[in-house]
Amino acid sequence: MERWVGRPAGDAGADRRQSGDGAPTPTPAPARPARPEGAGWPARLRRALGVLRAFWAANLAEELEYRANFLASLFATIFWLGMAVLTAAVFFRQTEELGGWGFWEVVALLGVFNAIGGIVDAVLRPNIGRIVDLVRRGTLDLILSKPVDAQFHVSFRRLVVWRLADVAFGLALSVFALTRIDRAPGVDAVVAFLLTLAAAFAIVYALWLGLMSFAFWFVDVENLGILFDALYEAGRFPVSAYPAPIRFVLVYLVPIAWITTVPAATLTGRGGWATSLAAAFVAVAALVLSRLLWRAALRRYTSAGG
Amino acid sequence: MTASLRAWARRYGALIRAGWLVDVQYRAAIVIWLILGVAQPAITLAVWWSVAGGGEVGGFGQADFARYFFAVMLIDQATLAWDIWYIDRWIREGELNFRLARPMNPLHEAIADNLAYKGKSVVLIALVWFLIAVFWPAVRLPFDPGRLALAAIATTLAAAIRFLTSYVNGLLAFWTTRATAIAELHWGVSLFLAGRIAPLSLLPPAVASVAGVLWFPYMLAFPVEILTGTLTDADAILSGFGWQLVWLAAWTCAYLFVWTRGRRRYGAVGG
Repeated sequence: MERWVGRPAGDAGADRRQSGDGAPTPTPAPARPARPEGAGWPARLRRALGVLRAFWAANLAEELEYRANFLASLFATIFWLGMAVLTAAVFFRQTEELGGWGFWEVVALLGVFNAIGGIVDAVLRPNIGRIVDLVRRGTLDLILSKPVDAQFHVSFRRLVVWRLADVAFGLALSVFALTRIDRAPGVDAVVAFLLTLAAAFAIVYALWLGLMSFAFWFVDVENLGILFDALYEAGRFPVSAYPAPIRFVLVYLVPIAWITTVPAATLTGRGGWATSLAAAFVAVAALVLSRLLWRAALRRYTSAGG
Repeated sequence: MTASLRAWARRYGALIRAGWLVDVQYRAAIVIWLILGVAQPAITLAVWWSVAGGGEVGGFGQADFARYFFAVMLIDQATLAWDIWYIDRWIREGELNFRLARPMNPLHEAIADNLAYKGKSVVLIALVWFLIAVFWPAVRLPFDPGRLALAAIATTLAAAIRFLTSYVNGLLAFWTTRATAIAELHWGVSLFLAGRIAPLSLLPPAVASVAGVLWFPYMLAFPVEILTGTLTDADAILSGFGWQLVWLAAWTCAYLFVWTRGRRRYGAVGG
């Protein structure tokens, strides 16, 4: 498939009707997300990956123009990792454990916290985070008229590639913390960790999509994404470190516990398979709910000036 | 003298009114920023609450932590300064131009905006604190007018210092495009040295004593400890006010220096 690297157009790239030439795509009906009729799952998936590759190749070309940002960004990553570990150290000056977790276990959790925060900054904030703006300006029209699913386009159009350093350094910190605990994870624990981490990404994505769908009702609130940041602060510590009522909220109402505590618990050998499967279930439920909310929100959308 | 005083009062009246009206327009956004502002102290309090359990940690019981971090939320809003983000944009995008054309230093607009903003957020937090205190005895403060007055003075000085650090930091945009990155570093250090993660007495003594000669604790921890009654020793309070004045003077000098030098460098981008 041909690689599409184009001018880093803003959203006004309405001239670009189709990205992955050569993909077996039927001519889409205008003003509707494409639904390749008769195409099965493999074809749709391949098409989605092709579009994704086109999106991110364009982004990479754009970001490489600002290479000095890379060093600054790397410095920020290391600085904030250090600050996070020091924060934990302040608590551990006064106590042996936080909610039953030792220092290095909490550090392993902070690595996960940082990695998922990196995904948020690299993919979610620059994409879904702009929905409010798209709705207010009516530029969402341009996306709705493109031959890809609007949710897909709105979610993955941009990639702030430098922030992926947070993911790499965060996971590295978790691995380092593991070497400090005498509990090397077996293969099954690693598999379970990857499963819960994927579930965590899915839950974070669903939280953002759900939160941003409210933009269709509250058009004048431009910083809805900040609400996620406020919630995510609670992910810095294992949920067992909180008083019971807060723990209940974080497990059952806003699923923050499933984002950082559960993957870190799996990695340090605290979670069983039941927890991992529960995480996968929560992730699927969150994805379905957020998709429903998004569709309901889209039905409300009355376009520019509406 | 009185005439010019009246002129200034009129100017500030107009500026504060303008700032107030802009904020009212963005009231929902402001509430969201407020939620982010209280999230960090609230979460930190929750963890310390569990750590303290039924006992004490470094002299702090559960109720002490609760009062401390409620005071942190209030004083943080009272001293909060967003100016770095505005000034950085003014300079980079040329929005400073028409402000320079006015017969008044843009500093006054920033001060007035701060007064208008804080009027709202402080009243809101104080109100919520009062309502919570009705149901939750742990966060009640004994009523003591003398201490409240001292806390008010310390908070005003703290707000002035924090405002100047933010404003000067913003003016660095005359020289660098990374003024906001510097602000992030400053914030990261202040998490510890201003007493946001823990009361300063729970930090390693060496760190606490370094903090004591810098401006960080005088922007937050010092007024907080007066308000909660942790700091009652007259000498300690006097020396705290002394340090506040020292740092206020130092940051004022820094402002004058950066403002005069920076304006000469300013190339008025945009339009």
